[in-house]
Amino acid sequence: MAKILIVDDSGMARRILRRILESAGHDVIEAEDGMVAVERYFLDKPKIVFLDLIMKGISGLEVLQKIREMDERARVVVATADIQKSTRAMTEQAGAIGFVTKPYNEKDLIAAVESVLKEQ
Amino acid sequence: MLLREKQRDALAELINIAFARTAASLSELSGHRVLLDAPGADVLAIDELPAFLGNFIKEDVVSVHQIFSGPVAGDALLMLNYEGAVTLTDLLCEYPAHARKPDASAREALTEVGNILLNACLGVFGNLLHVHVSFSMPRLHLESLDRLLRSITVGAEELRYAVVVSTSFSIKESSVTGYLAIVLGVSSLDRLLRAIETWEESQNG
Repeated sequence: MAKILIVDDSGMARRILRRILESAGHDVIEAEDGMVAVERYFLDKPKIVFLDLIMKGISGLEVLQKIREMDERARVVVATADIQKSTRAMTEQAGAIGFVTKPYNEKDLIAAVESVLKEQ
Repeated sequence: MLLREKQRDALAELINIAFARTAASLSELSGHRVLLDAPGADVLAIDELPAFLGNFIKEDVVSVHQIFSGPVAGDALLMLNYEGAVTLTDLLCEYPAHARKPDASAREALTEVGNILLNACLGVFGNLLHVHVSFSMPRLHLESLDRLLRSITVGAEELRYAVVVSTSFSIKESSVTGYLAIVLGVSSLDRLLRAIETWEESQNG
């Protein structure tokens, strides 16, 4: 079981992700915008962060940079509706270790979590 | 606007691929098989859009609007009439709304669905045409068609065109008809058509 932070400004997206992660036995915390996400990361030190890219206020990419500045070993998986390969490449370059696209496939998502946890 | 036959064929094929991805996304979201009618595509001058869409949308329109930027920039809109929006919400939400106007939870669901569907469609364009686009936050609007179209043309300095994709899909015996419009300035449309031609040539070896 791991503590996982979900960062998404859509309540629906957070609910879906929470259900999947909790059903796999993980402990979930949420942030609905980028500033709260950075604060929660600092306070809660989650093992994994699932991060949306397009949000009000600071963007997901900026959040990723801020979290990586705070903790260069941070494990951030980008969770977005944007399926472009170029977006994936951009987030990998910024230090994301995974990329999952919406709508979520439950098996792929759990596999992504397990793969990240194994690497730690 | 007159497209050359080759351009029209390539655009139709691109839209077929993009909508297959869009339907798959909708199926995963709803948990039901989605049957998609073959989408049709038209390229219209922006001032032809009200008459074209007015045949389908008689009252207010429920739309999810995303601005995209990059080498090809413009506005992407998913448009549904109220009936379609309520049907879709009922299928996606745990507690069917059946309300005349979408409540906060239904609005949230429609915004997220619009975000996923617009990204699925434009993302396929981006991947196949090797054009990266960045998206703004999705916004849900409930207003008259005229007001919606005015909001996307205000401040536009160049002639604008709309690539309008019309399709209907059936989920769990419910039929929903929706329109997706990609509104572009003439220079972006030109870049898009060139990219489509290059893609078409690469497919033909």
